[in-house]
Amino acid sequence: MSSEQKDTVTTISEDVMEKSSSRRSFIKGLSLAAAAGSAALATGCIPTANAASSEEMKLRWQEFFKKNYRLMNQKEKEDTVTRLERLAKIQDDMYVQVGHEAPIEKVLYGYAFNITRCEGFMECVTACVKENNLDRKTNTQYIRIFEMEPGKLDPSTGNGAYFHKVPVDDKFYMGTQCFHCENAPCTKACPTKATWKEPDGIVVVDYDWCIGCRYCQAACPYYGRRFNWGQAEVPKEEITTKQHYLGNRKRPKGKMEKCTFCIQRTRKGRLPACVEACPTGSRVFGNLLDPDSEIRYVLKHKKVFRMKDELGTEPKFWYFID
Amino acid sequence: MKTHILQCIGRLHIAPLLVLVFWCAGFAVASESAFIDTIKNQDGPFDNRSVAQVQPVTEKTVLVKEPYQGGSFRVLARKQDIERYKCSSCHTDKNVLVKKGQELTHGNVVISHGQEGDELGCIDCHHPEDRDFLEDKKGRKIDFDHSYQLCGQCHFRQKRDWLGGAHGKRLDYWAGDRVVYNCASCHDPHSPRFEKRFPATYSVPLN
Repeated sequence: MSSEQKDTVTTISEDVMEKSSSRRSFIKGLSLAAAAGSAALATGCIPTANAASSEEMKLRWQEFFKKNYRLMNQKEKEDTVTRLERLAKIQDDMYVQVGHEAPIEKVLYGYAFNITRCEGFMECVTACVKENNLDRKTNTQYIRIFEMEPGKLDPSTGNGAYFHKVPVDDKFYMGTQCFHCENAPCTKACPTKATWKEPDGIVVVDYDWCIGCRYCQAACPYYGRRFNWGQAEVPKEEITTKQHYLGNRKRPKGKMEKCTFCIQRTRKGRLPACVEACPTGSRVFGNLLDPDSEIRYVLKHKKVFRMKDELGTEPKFWYFID
Repeated sequence: MKTHILQCIGRLHIAPLLVLVFWCAGFAVASESAFIDTIKNQDGPFDNRSVAQVQPVTEKTVLVKEPYQGGSFRVLARKQDIERYKCSSCHTDKNVLVKKGQELTHGNVVISHGQEGDELGCIDCHHPEDRDFLEDKKGRKIDFDHSYQLCGQCHFRQKRDWLGGAHGKRLDYWAGDRVVYNCASCHDPHSPRFEKRFPATYSVPLN
């Protein structure tokens, strides 16, 4: 706030406090103070950088007051992704494509993980970090791979921090990530309705409506959610520019984020990055509503189990053995 | 007398509790079957070609000679990746210089396939006469692009899973026409087991 503005505010408040105030003068003073305050808001509060262009300010203002994604109509969705693309250009000098592809009809995504085949190379993890623009500084990862003792099926008994040549004889490897439960407890915990299950079964977060309370993280029995304590730091040349509003776009600081089955890919028919990267073919992804899909073959012909099945969360993520 | 009354009260309390427990259990079972039912009771197959953004794969593929869940699918072709194919351009009756022997005798191929100490030999898979082809144990000529037919004679479980989709993986897209990796796209046929190596990254403990 400039010294001039400060002076105005002080004189106004002195006026209000000291002079015998009539109703008229009080309201006059109040409106002046409000005007000074909103000027301060416009110049100082919302844009942090002094050099913020008026276009950036306008876009950030509009972004600040947009609706929850589920309440937006098609026009509003288009407007917000256009604003986000423009802001990426202004702020980071990046050309990104933010999509808002709707769920495909008659599709329910399902995932299967072959614990016999996985050998713990963790290429899924690096692919996921790259695809979803995850923070390199804190080494945020949506996927965890656990080195397991034979006979144990609970990842909490495994070693999630191994770093040696793999596979080790007599160990097996088990991956976890968000399981996109049909009956997802995390979505019920959210006080702002910022997380929900899409019609194609993907549990998503509206990063702009998330208030960062982390109730959902506490509600998830699978440790599937990650909280970002700061703006993700990604080398500019490594940023994935094909993005989705509910997926890998730039997340503000202090938001909850998670695996979205790579919504920016899967809604265009592509495989998630982890499936594409897996060198052993341990990961199977497909449409549960298609009786001819690979995932349905696995469910029909393989011995499958789900993690903490007894909780009734109905994860759409099955483990199977050959 | 007192204990008798207590027992009566106890029974009275247990009865509604039991009803509640059974009702809850029934509810849980019902909701579980409902989810599986929505999956299984889909009317008609899903049209995989309805996903508009799917692009045809750019790699060379061939149509698999065996069906997949009643339909046909494609597999990555192999021949274009074999360095010195066609083999018959060298395997002829013409003479070879001794000094080129090292290069031409496939000295770089190390076989680690089969039981240790009793590894497979070349002509266990390669055709003994026509080097442009493979040969299975029944003496059928097999094209390099269709090597799954050869591998499947021993690894029949893997082949069954591969046909169905539980072994191996699709190329790029879950939708669209099914295109999968070939056996030799991932496995080196001379040494099919994946080598031990360091993982691509590491994880830090959560929280």
